[in-house]
Amino acid sequence: MPDDPEDDVAVLNLRSVVGIVVSFIVAAVALFALPTIQGQGAGFDTAFWIVSGIELVTALAIVYFVLNLHDEPV
Amino acid sequence: MRMDPTVLQAGFDLLGDGRPETMWLGIGTLLMLIGTFYFLVKGWGVTDKEAREYYAITILVPGIATAAYLSMFFGVGLTEVEVAGRGTLDIYYARYADWLFTTPLLLLDLALLAKVDRATIGTLIGVDALMIVTGLVGALSKTMLARYTWWLVSTIAMIVVLYFLATSLRSAAKKRSADVQSTFNTLTVLTLVLWTAYPILWIIGTEGAGLVPLTVETLGFMVLDVSAKVGFGFILLRSRAVFGDTEAPEPSAGEPAAAD
Repeated sequence: MPDDPEDDVAVLNLRSVVGIVVSFIVAAVALFALPTIQGQGAGFDTAFWIVSGIELVTALAIVYFVLNLHDEPV
Repeated sequence: MRMDPTVLQAGFDLLGDGRPETMWLGIGTLLMLIGTFYFLVKGWGVTDKEAREYYAITILVPGIATAAYLSMFFGVGLTEVEVAGRGTLDIYYARYADWLFTTPLLLLDLALLAKVDRATIGTLIGVDALMIVTGLVGALSKTMLARYTWWLVSTIAMIVVLYFLATSLRSAAKKRSADVQSTFNTLTVLTLVLWTAYPILWIIGTEGAGLVPLTVETLGFMVLDVSAKVGFGFILLRSRAVFGDTEAPEPSAGEPAAAD
């Protein structure tokens, strides 16, 4: 819902916005990547932990980017 | 492990590949997708600094769950694990990958509501990651003793997370406005109840004691996932608590507008 247009709008940190979008895309793609990783010669356990690692790292990245979503006022 | 075909299978094999649980996985995909778009549309144009953070997190949670359910629906997120004494178990590993991504973000929502410091957020998410990773190890273990042991370790980590929510974060939330306290308490109770149900369903499901068939287990996890992600987001985002202190655009859950 739109806010009062007269309010000051906090400036989004573009780097954080891009980081959130990229992290989300990587996490979503990783959910389908296990067969491809296995196709490269990795065993199931290795591929599984790679996918899980990607999910955790992207989640942590998003936590970081959300906590830094706005530019601090100068 | 496939159940005896004479046993009642609560599901329907939508893809014709011998998996009646695809019905629940398909419904789960749809509900997560609807939740994602609902939050996206609701949050479009929001300029409030705090609200933007809540919307970003809450849109991503069902968003990634949509991808996870879709991968399970098509069988990409499924594998088989040989377990001594139990034969071959079907393990939907994408479920665990989904939880690794979504549970830290759900906790971040609660931590932002309580306005705790970053060290506390880090501790909470660290224990949460331990909970999911030990659950993952249990899911891949090849003996029932190992599976139950890792389940116990994961459950203890979950109890620590929930205790942390009910004590430290709740204390911090008490210092905030009545709207925030109300929303935080509602979401904490929801989280306590739903998250407690996960290890119970796991232990009685096909990956544990095998007391319920895969279709019922899949249905149960789907209901829990949709409630814990879309339901959680719905309660959070309809509350005034997500807006900065000066804004109160609509009443909180269960509270009259006049209370503002």
